[in-house]
Amino acid sequence: MRDLLTELMDSARARAGYADARFVRSRVERLSTRNGRLDQLDSRESEGIGIRVRVRGAWGFAAVRGTDRAAAEAALARALAIAEAQPAVPDAAPLAPEPPARGEWSSGFERDPFEVPLEEKLSVLLAADAGLRTEPGVTLTRARFAAFGTDTLFANTEGALCEQHVTECGGGIGATAVKGDESQIRSFPASHGGHVAQAGYEHFLGLELPGHAPRVAAEAVALLSAPACPHGRTTLLLAGEQLGLQVHESVGHAVELDRVLGREASYAGTSFVAAGGIGSLRFGSERVNVTADATSATGLGSFRWDDEGVEGRPVPIIREGVLTGFLSSRETASEIGLDRSGGCMRADGFTRQPIVRMTNVNLEAGDAGSLDDLIASTDDGLLIETNRSWSIDNRRLHFQFEGEAAWEIRGGERGRLLRNPSYAGVTPEFWGSCDAVCSPSEWRLISLLDCGKGEPGQVMRVSHGSAPARFRDVEVGLA
Amino acid sequence: MTAAELAGRAVARAAPNGLALVTHERSLMLRFAAGRPTQATAIDDFTLDIAVPLEGHVGRASTNGVDDAAIADCAERARLAAEAAAVTGGGGFPGFAPHPGGPASQREPFEAATAELDPAAGAAALEAAFSVAAHHGVEAHGIWTVAEQEQAWALAGEEAQAERRTDAFMKVICIAPNGRSGYASSSSVAAADLDASALAERAALKATAGGEPAELPPGDYPVVFEADAVGWLCDLLAGCAFNGLAHAEGRGALDGKLGETVAAPAISLADSPGHPLTLPRSFDAEGTPKAPIPLIQDGVARGVAHDIRSAALAGDGARTTGHALAPGGDASGPHPTNLVLAGGGAADEAELCAPVERGVYVTRLWYANVVRPKETLITAVTRDGTFLIEDGRITRPLRDLRVTDSVLRILSGASALSGEQKLASDGEFYGRRFAFGVVCPAIRADAVRFTGASG
Repeated sequence: MRDLLTELMDSARARAGYADARFVRSRVERLSTRNGRLDQLDSRESEGIGIRVRVRGAWGFAAVRGTDRAAAEAALARALAIAEAQPAVPDAAPLAPEPPARGEWSSGFERDPFEVPLEEKLSVLLAADAGLRTEPGVTLTRARFAAFGTDTLFANTEGALCEQHVTECGGGIGATAVKGDESQIRSFPASHGGHVAQAGYEHFLGLELPGHAPRVAAEAVALLSAPACPHGRTTLLLAGEQLGLQVHESVGHAVELDRVLGREASYAGTSFVAAGGIGSLRFGSERVNVTADATSATGLGSFRWDDEGVEGRPVPIIREGVLTGFLSSRETASEIGLDRSGGCMRADGFTRQPIVRMTNVNLEAGDAGSLDDLIASTDDGLLIETNRSWSIDNRRLHFQFEGEAAWEIRGGERGRLLRNPSYAGVTPEFWGSCDAVCSPSEWRLISLLDCGKGEPGQVMRVSHGSAPARFRDVEVGLA
Repeated sequence: MTAAELAGRAVARAAPNGLALVTHERSLMLRFAAGRPTQATAIDDFTLDIAVPLEGHVGRASTNGVDDAAIADCAERARLAAEAAAVTGGGGFPGFAPHPGGPASQREPFEAATAELDPAAGAAALEAAFSVAAHHGVEAHGIWTVAEQEQAWALAGEEAQAERRTDAFMKVICIAPNGRSGYASSSSVAAADLDASALAERAALKATAGGEPAELPPGDYPVVFEADAVGWLCDLLAGCAFNGLAHAEGRGALDGKLGETVAAPAISLADSPGHPLTLPRSFDAEGTPKAPIPLIQDGVARGVAHDIRSAALAGDGARTTGHALAPGGDASGPHPTNLVLAGGGAADEAELCAPVERGVYVTRLWYANVVRPKETLITAVTRDGTFLIEDGRITRPLRDLRVTDSVLRILSGASALSGEQKLASDGEFYGRRFAFGVVCPAIRADAVRFTGASG
């Protein structure tokens, strides 16, 4: 395969200003239970080659299944033909320079999740599912396992030739309780598929799903009779998945440089952030520090090289509330005069071309101690936990989120459970109201498994690190 | 090699009761932004799904390999999965059943010229859109895309059934120098039906509509939704209300409400896979022939969509309605992908606006998400053409708004629908391409809840 990609790039060099090729082999295994029965046992494999070329400033990309040489050569010809057919872009910026990526890298794991017998995985899921069904009133229980394996070989016309192997694994549980027209759900450790990490089977076992199941089920039933989250303005505490999603939607996407430059206007949207905002745009309070870090251990946005061969590294995005950087590619970085790409090009398999994506966009820890300390220092407020629904406008400015559960905070103590909690805000005002972020001991990565972007659509798995944080004067109870 | 040939080879490995489903995608998509091409993607790929039922469970595996070794490995993974599942007991899947043939569509699902995937035709469409946008002094953003999909399924001992389909989609978003934007899109079986100039013209006129944008405070307002916005609402409703799996589990919005009035009398919604405006499909992912099913008739809830698994769970004589998204049932349940909302008596959107004293005109919705499915409560923002209606006509642009409301509540307040219908599609193609859309008219809803500003 190395020889084939190298030869393809040799052929492309004569007709394209730039070209790259990726061979990708993907494996996915998903298991899930539903009300004590095995519901899904799915195994997916695919492999193929995606070739991207740039001719007179216009890009062409063609993907073909398999490893057949003739098919790969035809794909290169197709990519060239498509690029050549399009209107030329004579003023296209040159790609930001990058030394050719060479070498091999593998993510770490202790136990290969694909080698673990199905029966062993199922026994954990069934035990967790049984724990969820200990609570009368629960009508639907789910327990999930997922493993992803991705092997990538990358080459380009500038001499890059590098190989990466990534293994990801994790899972989660959920309980739904229904009574009349009321339906409530609780999930652990997160909704939308649970928590997946760049790790092996040991990560799935470490989630201890069976042990958490009875509490999760009890909370789902308790929510049915809990009072609804009232409408008003209050102090809001966010942690875990909900805070990670807040970072994802209102910071991560807002600082994608392709959006900032208008390249995603037809689908994902643009951004309220201007390309010239580095060093001047106040994104949040001085407590807010955000880094896009492609080297975070176990993060789903970690790699040695991105999908155009740029070495992954930490990129400061916000420092003391001020914008300091973007998520960028070689093309977009060059367009705004940056010396180097931020290394954020990622592709969803071999059939999609790389686009600007999040790595691990992390909210750095602060000094507010533990979550208990944060609650103790809050007179009146709301703690919202676990995402249920999210929506944000196409400039990443006005958002509205709903959580699975909330707890009142009164006099520094956690109080009543509330159902249907929601909150809304405007991105820079919301982050500007952040007056506390917990300490490093509380900092955790969460995973989001279904970040959609691009046309044709691409799904990306990303992680976000954060410690619980507090926001003042937030509108809650809208939905 | 055809999809049917591959399905026939694969199912031999899945005997005696397995099903093979093959999907071959050939597609081309050209993206553009600010009047220049930005990305172009050509895909040629297969997906082979093998599903093996065993003692009420289904083991499933997939590959994009087409040689004998890849097929054998895929079948073995499916068999091992089925055996592991069977040990857990309690399965309720009754097995796949042969359903050769299906009802004739009112439109051929395949158009030969579209299947050529000609990049020059796409480039010409881009040039046309760029020219119109430049004439209006606005930027053009969007996509032009065409595809051929050949899908086939086979059961052991049965002849493979196959269907060739094409689809074409173009959207243009025009952005004016003041940041206002307008949207227009078109979707069809045939690329020749896409009129790039007309789409750009429509989008440009919305982006350049005069006047300072007004703002509305949160509250309930009458709304005229264009068909693209109605399509979003109907598809969200489908996930909440017509999912037979959720319905059987008591989580569906129509749980206990079949036969009851759930929307205005003007609302008749069906899944009609042969409708002349839809993207025709003759069978689902389990090989079940597709046929029209009423979902809401004259405002009364009439039915939900099933695959084999959800029908078995529902019991009481329920049968698959041909809405499986995967062999053995997708984890999320079945989904109607050929929704058709019947049109009404209004001549056009202007007539729908006529009785509105003060209201909102919505071109499309964006970033819609279900908040509480049993209540059909959703939230979304308006985008690319939101206007203020005053004294029966559109008077000026309106700052975008956030909708947070129940879809069935909105449809209960539907007081008029346009006669003309459109295939509303957003051209989203995640995973293996499956083009779909909602055939629907524009509607006027008497009261829609807005919870804040947007954009």
